[in-house]
Amino acid sequence: MKILTQAILLFSLIFGPAVMTPSFALSFDDLKKNLKEANEKLKEKAKQGKKTFDRARGKLTEEEEIEIGGNLISGLLGAAPLVDDAGLQQYVNDVGYWIASQSERRQLPWNFGVIDSEGINAFAAPGGYIVITLGLYNLLENEAQLAGVLAHEIAHVVRKHHLKALQKTMKREFWADLGVKAVGNEDKREKFRKLINSGVQLYASGLDRNYEYDADLRAVVLAARAGYDPYALLDVLTTIDSINPASSELTVLMKTHPPTAKRLDQLGRKMDGRLDDFASGQLNAGRFRQIAINP
Amino acid sequence: MLSILLVAPLRASQDGIVVRTAAVHAQASHGSTRIGQVTAGTTVSVFSRQGGWKEIFSEDNSIVGWVRSYQVRETTAAAPVSAEAESDSRGFLAGLASFSRKASSFFKSGKDNKSSGTATIGVRGLSEQEINNAQADFAEFEKMKRFASSTKRAGNFAKQGGLSATKVPDIPGKK
Repeated sequence: MKILTQAILLFSLIFGPAVMTPSFALSFDDLKKNLKEANEKLKEKAKQGKKTFDRARGKLTEEEEIEIGGNLISGLLGAAPLVDDAGLQQYVNDVGYWIASQSERRQLPWNFGVIDSEGINAFAAPGGYIVITLGLYNLLENEAQLAGVLAHEIAHVVRKHHLKALQKTMKREFWADLGVKAVGNEDKREKFRKLINSGVQLYASGLDRNYEYDADLRAVVLAARAGYDPYALLDVLTTIDSINPASSELTVLMKTHPPTAKRLDQLGRKMDGRLDDFASGQLNAGRFRQIAINP
Repeated sequence: MLSILLVAPLRASQDGIVVRTAAVHAQASHGSTRIGQVTAGTTVSVFSRQGGWKEIFSEDNSIVGWVRSYQVRETTAAAPVSAEAESDSRGFLAGLASFSRKASSFFKSGKDNKSSGTATIGVRGLSEQEINNAQADFAEFEKMKRFASSTKRAGNFAKQGGLSATKVPDIPGKK
């Protein structure tokens, strides 16, 4: 039996190629083509796998990020509406949009607003939604200071700080299959609701303090890229630092940010000597004052 | 020196505290002559800021010059105490207390620096509770979107304000 098998094997090895029909014959080019196709298929599979993997880890698409951000900012607007002054709102949008255009995520639908609150603060939501309170706006002296504040918030969005914070608080299973297109499903809709709630609470509890230092540092660079005097953000922090931290207007800001003196120190030292060439950037105090008269 | 002492008080200034021992320069530039030093805790008058520099006058060593802006902190008309200065150097605080002028509770009073932390009741503006209890206002959100700028509009706005896109290298940070 064994001998017979060996004989057949030997026979087919010797005569096999000769009896093969042309359709079975593989030319070298065909082989290369097949290999290439297989490779591409593998790559595609890997890509899909990565997508599923990303999703499971909570990496959202930009569309989803914008959807979440819109919900979060609507929550904040529910707590404090926009100041009823179209000129002011447009002005803040122009300043913000111009700065955001200098960022790595200029394609986002950037929206800015001044909200009617005496609290001194500013908030950012994923996807490019940013609001500043009237309390903080009224402390500002020029457009460069406004630019510094908006740039800090823009940096939070560009670096996806809020999304990262939400990912940390929610368990991994939570993120599976979550997305805008899943909103039709009741279970997923409930998940989405939970996410928004946690997101809004984030505005009261605050981000990782390192994210705040990071946003300060990126803000001054962004402001300089937009043509503003980057040191204006230090001036804003100096002003805030001169206010009694126990005053009610600062309660949330103080609870959610590192001590202002520490921010000033860290930012000042990091900037030291690095942005001197850009210190002659614009302050635009005149334009700022013209707008600020109206509210 | 006499002329400095005469001139200095005549110029508009703000009270400030040196928060880090700083080299005083003749001009607002690193390359300019170093004319002296002010130590942390010294009270100074701050005349102006120019880029990353502040022009100061120190009565202690009769010196007028420029220091890095983060080395000095303005203390406004209110009490000049900052958390950092408080922990750095207690000795001069007693002296500062006499400097303290009348200030509304809005500004630091020096005595009441530590927040009770739980004072969310009666908070003006956005309180923690208000944020947590807020009902989303989608109509207001739609309104907000209507004020959005555009590439063209923001470009014109920048031009009118003398702003131009500038290449600025990143500053290396931890994250």
